[in-house]
Amino acid sequence: MKKWFGKIFLPFWMCIVGVIAVVTGCLYFRFIADRIYEDSTSHLKEIYGQVNRSFGIFIERNWGLLENWSDYLVLVDNEDSVPEFMEEKKEKWGFSEFYFIGADRTCMAPDGSVITAELTLWDELMQKRQPVMDGISIDRNELIVFAVPAIHGTYRGFDYDAIAITYTNADLADSLNVDAFSGKAKCFVMHEDGSVLLSTQTGGNVFENYLVYLNAATDLTDEELEDVRNDWENETSGLLQCNIGDVSQCILYMPVGYQNYVLLSVVPEDTMSAGFLSVQKMTANILLLLFLLVGVSLFVVVIIRGRSQNRRSRLELQYRERMFDVLSNTVDDIFIMLDHDCFHVDYVSPNIERLLGISAESAKKNIRIMEECVVGDEVIILKAELEKIPVQGSVFREHEYMNQNTGERRWYRITAYHMDIQDVAKYIIVLSDRTRDQKMNQDLQEALAIARSANEAKSSFLSNMSHDIRTPMNAIVGFSVLLEKDADKPEKVREYTRKITASSNHLLSLINDVLDMSKIESGKTSLNVDKFSLPELFEELHIILDPQAKAKEQTFRIYVQGTLHEELIGDKLRLNQILINLLSNAIKYTQVGGKITFTISELPNPAKQFVKLRFVVQDNGMGMSEEFQQHIFAPFSRENSSITNKIQGTGLGMAITKNLVELMGGIIHVESETGVGSTFTVELSFTLPEPEQKEKWYLHKVSRLLVADDEEEICHDIQELMRDSGVEVTCVTSGAAAVEKAVRAHEQHEDFHVILLDWKMPGMNGMETARRIREQVKADVPILVLTSYDWSEIEEEAKASGINAFLAKPFFVSTFWQTIRPLFSDQTQQQETAFVPEGVMKGKLFLVAEDNELNAEILTEMLHMEGAKCEVAVNGQDAAELFLHSQPGHFDMILMDVQMPVMNGYEATRQIRSSAHPEAKTIPIAAMTANTFAEDVRNAIDAGMNGHLAKPINMTAVRELVSRLLYTEGKGDHT
Amino acid sequence: MRKRAILLPLTAILCLTGCSNSDRNDITLSIMGKQSDLNKSYMTSIFQQYEEETGNKLRIIAYEDTEYESIASAKFEAGDVPDVFLHFNNADLNRFNVDENFCYLNDQSWVSELSEGAKAYCLDADGNLLGLPFWENSVSGCYYNKTIMDGLGMKPATTQAEFDTICQVLADTGYTPICWPANGCAWMPQFGMDPIFADDPSVLEKINRNEITYADIPEIHNMVQWISDAAEKGWFGSDFLNVGWNEIGTKMASGDAVMTFIWDTWFYTDLPENGTYTVDDFALMPVFMNTVDGGTYEGGNLNMMMVNKKSSNKDAALEFLAFCAEPEHYNIAFDGIATVNCFVGQTTNIQSQMVTDAESSIKANQRVSTASSRIIGYSGDDVVLAFDSMFRGNTDVTGCVEMMDNYRIEEAVQQGITGF
Repeated sequence: MKKWFGKIFLPFWMCIVGVIAVVTGCLYFRFIADRIYEDSTSHLKEIYGQVNRSFGIFIERNWGLLENWSDYLVLVDNEDSVPEFMEEKKEKWGFSEFYFIGADRTCMAPDGSVITAELTLWDELMQKRQPVMDGISIDRNELIVFAVPAIHGTYRGFDYDAIAITYTNADLADSLNVDAFSGKAKCFVMHEDGSVLLSTQTGGNVFENYLVYLNAATDLTDEELEDVRNDWENETSGLLQCNIGDVSQCILYMPVGYQNYVLLSVVPEDTMSAGFLSVQKMTANILLLLFLLVGVSLFVVVIIRGRSQNRRSRLELQYRERMFDVLSNTVDDIFIMLDHDCFHVDYVSPNIERLLGISAESAKKNIRIMEECVVGDEVIILKAELEKIPVQGSVFREHEYMNQNTGERRWYRITAYHMDIQDVAKYIIVLSDRTRDQKMNQDLQEALAIARSANEAKSSFLSNMSHDIRTPMNAIVGFSVLLEKDADKPEKVREYTRKITASSNHLLSLINDVLDMSKIESGKTSLNVDKFSLPELFEELHIILDPQAKAKEQTFRIYVQGTLHEELIGDKLRLNQILINLLSNAIKYTQVGGKITFTISELPNPAKQFVKLRFVVQDNGMGMSEEFQQHIFAPFSRENSSITNKIQGTGLGMAITKNLVELMGGIIHVESETGVGSTFTVELSFTLPEPEQKEKWYLHKVSRLLVADDEEEICHDIQELMRDSGVEVTCVTSGAAAVEKAVRAHEQHEDFHVILLDWKMPGMNGMETARRIREQVKADVPILVLTSYDWSEIEEEAKASGINAFLAKPFFVSTFWQTIRPLFSDQTQQQETAFVPEGVMKGKLFLVAEDNELNAEILTEMLHMEGAKCEVAVNGQDAAELFLHSQPGHFDMILMDVQMPVMNGYEATRQIRSSAHPEAKTIPIAAMTANTFAEDVRNAIDAGMNGHLAKPINMTAVRELVSRLLYTEGKGDHT
Repeated sequence: MRKRAILLPLTAILCLTGCSNSDRNDITLSIMGKQSDLNKSYMTSIFQQYEEETGNKLRIIAYEDTEYESIASAKFEAGDVPDVFLHFNNADLNRFNVDENFCYLNDQSWVSELSEGAKAYCLDADGNLLGLPFWENSVSGCYYNKTIMDGLGMKPATTQAEFDTICQVLADTGYTPICWPANGCAWMPQFGMDPIFADDPSVLEKINRNEITYADIPEIHNMVQWISDAAEKGWFGSDFLNVGWNEIGTKMASGDAVMTFIWDTWFYTDLPENGTYTVDDFALMPVFMNTVDGGTYEGGNLNMMMVNKKSSNKDAALEFLAFCAEPEHYNIAFDGIATVNCFVGQTTNIQSQMVTDAESSIKANQRVSTASSRIIGYSGDDVVLAFDSMFRGNTDVTGCVEMMDNYRIEEAVQQGITGF
């Protein structure tokens, strides 16, 4: 109701009031104007009535004068006095000339000059003897003549019957002029046909016929003009209103009263009513002023109220805007309001700068600037789409936006609403941050995908594993059956047991991988960080992998680029696992006769206490498809091809490798091409140990080293590597040069302490060089041969040539040191190499804690085979009780399974160690567990155990452990 | 058709004559003039007659009207003077160094053939005949649309006051009273100035001796004031600043303007034939410019042919003028042309009814063209510039008069006139 009142009724009512006011005003002014016009015309008639009467008097006066002068002329005796008399009268009455008029229409002036004048009213003058007023033209001068019949007379011999005086137009204009009407009034005396006799126009009369002029120059109709003409003929007065040009004129005419002469006045209407109009104008102005004052007062009141209201509204609006700004700044939703018609941006929430990195001002200027933030080529909501949204409707879509300042990417749900806000159509666009939802969805999708993939992989894995496990198991079962059948055939028995062992080992590796992966996935993997030797690692790799490569007639090479730090701190076991995985895969998936290279290089690292190594395993094998490369590191993934399907594998190797690399803070990536080969690159960082003391070289009197290698780069590397050792390295690039250097040094009594020769040098090879040095120097200088080849076949020949030892390429200082150290030390130290005699367990009594009866039986049998005995406990508690109740020295060692019912191995060990048994602290306890990870070992040590044996039990490992615990370390306190 | 019957035998005779003079074919006379002047039918006619009868050739050198004076004077300065040079009257001739370049023609046999009126326009201040007037001899005055005036019941003015009243009445009635071509038309003010200098020769003498200036002459000021007022009152119309030579005909033929200051032959040569009004609708009254109460007419504006006294073809050029002054030649050329007689034997031309009707008024108020031809340094173009400046509000009446003086004196100084 209130809205209806404000929106419809009030404007309507105001319009009505306005219309009434305007109509009333118009009627009032019309009334006033009519009254003024009536008064003005009345005034005009009065004035020109007076003029007309004056003109009549003027005519009569002229005629009277002429009649008087007629009498005078009759009586005058002396004609010569006439000119003077007339000059005097001319001066007095203002006429231009006096004439005697003869019957022959000639006229004579008092000076005797004679002219001819054609009087229209000649008959009236001469025949009817009536006074006349008429117009004549003398010498192109238009004159008005007043003439009266006179008594016949003679002047200067000229007979006359009438006399006349003439006036020029200018002479008479004054008698018709009025001071009123600002001098803008014109007055004419004309004949009834309109021909002008007299005019008050400035400059004289320019009209031949004013009726013609009225016809041509005014808007009078023919009927009106005809009426005028009739009025003039009938000597009737009249008043006309017409336009001449753009000016409204009032034309008043009235008969002069002589002949049909008409006196006509033309007055501009505005001039005629000027006085009245000024009153009208004043009245109007006063009323207008009053209205204006009232209006202005109302306006001021309205403005003040409006302003006050506006100010309140503005303050409220500002408050709301500020509040909205503050609110919007605290949320991650952007609000934009567009005008419905012109798409002008009315509002942009200020948080757009924080969220998208563009200012609200720039967005206001050009909303399309937001498109620059959209990631990808997607188009945000188009104008055409907005136009299609119905009122109260909306559309939405989602885009990823990038913050222009920070580069941060966020997902926004853009919702465009078509709103009607106080009858004004607006588009409101809200950009709601959906990054979390998007990420959650993405994570969920990824998780789902992973789960599906994992599920699929696991299904595939189980399928594969089923096959992979069944295959060795079948072999084991099958050969076990055959073994039973052929137990009496030693050859068969050995063959079957060898095959059962091989199948068992394969099965074991499968299980190890599965367990390893399971451990990694569960996040329980930890690193066993310790100092280790990189050369040793490579040697081990070489030892392990070279035979595999040779079996496939493959070339396997290890290259070192530049120099390397040899002593590192890291998890050697895991690094070994990574590299073995990569290298064994390379060997596995490279065809017979292929080539595998393993390249190690050190990457620049600004931190001195760290070193970053790059390991590159490259092969020219079968390679991988691009598709497979995408998920090669996913668990349970194997390339599905006719070739790979024939190769055994769990599909876990690369996943384990990647996880281990990442666990070590490194990166791994692969480049591969089907049929060309693959390259795996691993980059890992290691901590560097404290540098070794270089005094060891001095202590062993090694201060000069001669190196001969045709590859200058190797020479340079060796110099670099030995730089911190204090050993002076002399390099030559040929055997001959080496001989020369050695001989010269010997002659100077500065023999080299070690000579290092490359085996294969052009010209003189290493062995020949060594031979010549031995021949010429005779000194007992250790000569080593540096080679990347297998030297076993030439070892005897080399020794015969005087070569003391071989050193595998690449050159490592530590390896070099280990190689030459025995040459400078007591020979007894050469016996340090661990050797475990086979009878080390003979006669020993073991307490075996094993809940699995079969495993216990196997172990018992294997110990028996080693000449040892054992007592079996079925769980930890049983084992602890057996030990606690045993006499000191009864058991030599305890082999403790970890996972057992009732009490596990760790708890049992702790119970033993904490017991009062005399050997509680010293009895060696070794853990037996399928869990072979570093943390398992650490857990075992923490529980008080002395060693760790991985299941299934390998007797060689048992012998080594027993040897170490019982003979090398001896029994000690393990608290 | 009757005219052609007469002309054909005459042409045949001329051709025969031309053939007999074939030994003079090598003479080529150069004639320099304005393009529009040289294209007049009577000019082309006399040229054709001359070439056909004498066998001589005429090399017509024509320039655009607006460029003519400047190009011609430049050529004269460079010594490139044609055999025959066409120029309007004896006005502005100083720049062409008349004494040095042109023959005085007082002793030519054809001088007696000239009407006195025409001859007067070709004399210099010393009474030397400078050229042969071969042109439409016309009467300049205020030509008004009689049909419109009669239609309004109005009669022509006999005094300045009446003229002003007529102008105001016409303006009030919605007409443009006067077509004033302010855009480059130089002749308008000179009509008003003629009475000042023609009626009192002492004024002319003083101004030519630089003893007085325009500013010292009240009538000049009155004239400029009247022109200024007329423009202010709208008597020239609203667009008169853009009205030039080409627009006069349109305005007059359409009835947009009722009066203009021009000459009678213009109506036969330049009034558009397809307009509402034709020559029969016009009549003549004096020019009123507030310098003389009864108004004034200016006598004919004649183009004259002058002979280069240094030309190797001087004799041939003089013969060419004599050829033109022969009745049988000029009567062919001016056959049917509306003009007042230049030659006493002129019989084939027609005289306009407008001039005939106003004969007594012309007789009473006609003056020889004095301002443009007699005032040293006078240039119609300069006067146009001064008025243009005033019309555009850049200067007032006094400034306009001062500009007219400055231009005039500057020109006189350039001409090296004694006293300036």
